Amino acid sequence: MGTTPAIEFRKICKSYGQLRVLRDIDLKVAPGQVMAVCGPSGSGKSTLLRLVNRLESISTGEILIDGVPTAGFRGRKLQQLRTEIGFVFQQFNLYANLNAADNVSLALRNVRGVSREKSRARALELLERVGLADKATCFPSQLSGGQQQRVAIARALATDPKVVLFDEPTSALDPEMIGEVLRVMQELPKSGITMMVVTHEMSFARDIADWVIFIDGGAIVEQAAPADFFGAPVHERTRHFLQQILSPLAAAPK
Amino acid sequence: MGFDFSVIRDNLPYLLWGRTAYGEPGGLLLTVIMAICAGVLALAVGIALALAAWRYGGWTRRLLFAWADFIRGIPLLFVIFWLYFLIPALFGGHVPGAVTVIVALAWFSSAAIMYSTLAGLESLSAGQSEAGIASGLSQSQVLWLILLPQAISNLVPSYVGLLVSLIKDTSLAFIVNVPELTTVAEQVNNRSQIYPMEIFLFIGLLYFILCGGLSWAARTPARF
Amino acid sequence: MRGITFDWAGVVTGQPAQWLLSGFLTTVYVTVAGCVLASAVALVVVALRLAPGRVGRYAAGTFVEIFLNTPILVQMLFWYFAAYGLLPRTWRLFINADHPWAVLPVNVIVLAPEFLCAAWGLGLFTAVFLAQELRTGLNAVPKGQTEAAMAQGLSSWQTLRFVLLPQALVNAWQPLVGQYLNLMKLSSLATGIGLAELTSQVRKIESYNAHSLEAFAVGTAIYLALGVAMGRLLLLVGPKRPDRKRSAPPERAGALVVASSARGSDGI
Repeated sequence: MGTTPAIEFRKICKSYGQLRVLRDIDLKVAPGQVMAVCGPSGSGKSTLLRLVNRLESISTGEILIDGVPTAGFRGRKLQQLRTEIGFVFQQFNLYANLNAADNVSLALRNVRGVSREKSRARALELLERVGLADKATCFPSQLSGGQQQRVAIARALATDPKVVLFDEPTSALDPEMIGEVLRVMQELPKSGITMMVVTHEMSFARDIADWVIFIDGGAIVEQAAPADFFGAPVHERTRHFLQQILSPLAAAPK
Repeated sequence: MGFDFSVIRDNLPYLLWGRTAYGEPGGLLLTVIMAICAGVLALAVGIALALAAWRYGGWTRRLLFAWADFIRGIPLLFVIFWLYFLIPALFGGHVPGAVTVIVALAWFSSAAIMYSTLAGLESLSAGQSEAGIASGLSQSQVLWLILLPQAISNLVPSYVGLLVSLIKDTSLAFIVNVPELTTVAEQVNNRSQIYPMEIFLFIGLLYFILCGGLSWAARTPARF
Repeated sequence: MRGITFDWAGVVTGQPAQWLLSGFLTTVYVTVAGCVLASAVALVVVALRLAPGRVGRYAAGTFVEIFLNTPILVQMLFWYFAAYGLLPRTWRLFINADHPWAVLPVNVIVLAPEFLCAAWGLGLFTAVFLAQELRTGLNAVPKGQTEAAMAQGLSSWQTLRFVLLPQALVNAWQPLVGQYLNLMKLSSLATGIGLAELTSQVRKIESYNAHSLEAFAVGTAIYLALGVAMGRLLLLVGPKRPDRKRSAPPERAGALVVASSARGSDGI
């Protein structure tokens, strides 16, 4: 690709003590690309995501955001970097003591320094976008899982990030609520946002993603466009994993 | 500010064990004796009340809770005063001040022990008593053989905490002139007048060693 | 038992009534002063504990250990008999002088060594317990809250202020109120340093007209009523869960009173 990648991983390794979770990851995410990351549990896919906004620290290697290495960022610089990267958690993690609108506007007011009126207006605008304008004054405990996650997405968008990371956004949801969250996620690429999504939802990977990567044992085993990835997986491990996800009973050991 | 600890040196025996030579234990010794007696009494009464509340529920439980709330709702000092007044009225004659304070401390602490023990029993999973009942044991047997032994070992830290509180509470005997450590220290202070800092720092240290030592010993896991 | 006659009038009218009123108000004032001081110091202790580096944690830890393992009465005696004398002479002269502005209704002199030492001693002692409860409350906030705040770029201080502390206060409010109630009951120990609070006045009535039973009964009733009132008031004005549900239903204000003591605080 000719343009600077939105996110670039260079020889990324991550270990917890003796345990090696990621080994020599080299990956480029193009601007505006929607990348789905899948793999068995323990493969390191969540860790990969959390390295980008430094919720975990890098053991060795480099991460570049928009071509700028971020390893040395600290204090205010790190805070500002984080406002440029949205993060959506599996467990939503909405601030329990604030209502939906305040959840969305908190970082806008206190890290970007936007005025109260402007941040409130922006919050309402974003809640409207995710279909929850009428829930602006509700607290997280009064919202369903699907609604909470949609507020969480609005919150991640508040500071106009160019990159939004999703860490298994639908894994904690009851099945009937997955659709409403996926619908919101589907709209995002239209505004040019780069998305990296760790997910088990193969429908998302197939229908919405531009590129799918499969991580196993801390390394990228295969990556391809969805059509090729699901249609003709190259590696045996990829095939095995897809079979487990798509038809678990058939894939179970006898 | 020069400290002169000679006052401690000169009065050390008195501070540590009062007039034991004359048959009246005092000082640190009396503090420890009172704490232990009150502790044993409080444990016995508190656990018994918790068992009663557990076993019988309903009105018994409500009554016991009301009694406990009442006791803990007034200052401990008042409990001491009440007993100072009531015990001679009930039993006639002279009851040593230390005994009255011990009974007051025990009475007061038993309410806390009742609550703690009850919480300990309730924190055990319901499956424990269900298994016992399913195999034919009576309610009381389940309580005595299965629940209580488990609850007690969970409750040891809580009980030690209460013992530490008791040691500190014995200092209230100062108000009614029972010669435990704090009273005795104040007597020494009155006599010598010019060393309050040394005296109170010293007894502070004694309490600290006693209480801190107990707490520390309870925190490090006991090996049976 | 001998026949008992009660003479309540001897306690609730005339001079004794005045003493009781004065004692009650003194108890209220010293409780308020102590609670305010305790809250301020508790916040400092918690801040020290959370500050980066080891010095703050050691300082806070030492402070907590010392105050937890010595009796409150000994602490008060220390402040009154030992530490007070270390104050500069000019300060002590100032305190001992008459200051009409420092007298609260009904003739309670606030700027006096007894009052100051009692409030100071009670405040510092209770601060330790408040800090412990606050710490427990902070630990009960799910880790995800901190992660979300960090992921959004909030600083540690901002996270504490906007996300963690509000939730910690909701979690810990009932135990915190219990500790404030404790302080009120512990104020009775100030009789040992000569403060003319409620307990002192009850004993004064007892030696005045020997109406021990009546005096103690009235004193008991006043303490109980004060405890219940204080508990209800604090619960009412305290932080509640955002969706208006309490953290646990307070079946009776008395439960608070017990919960405060069951936590191993002492001398109440």
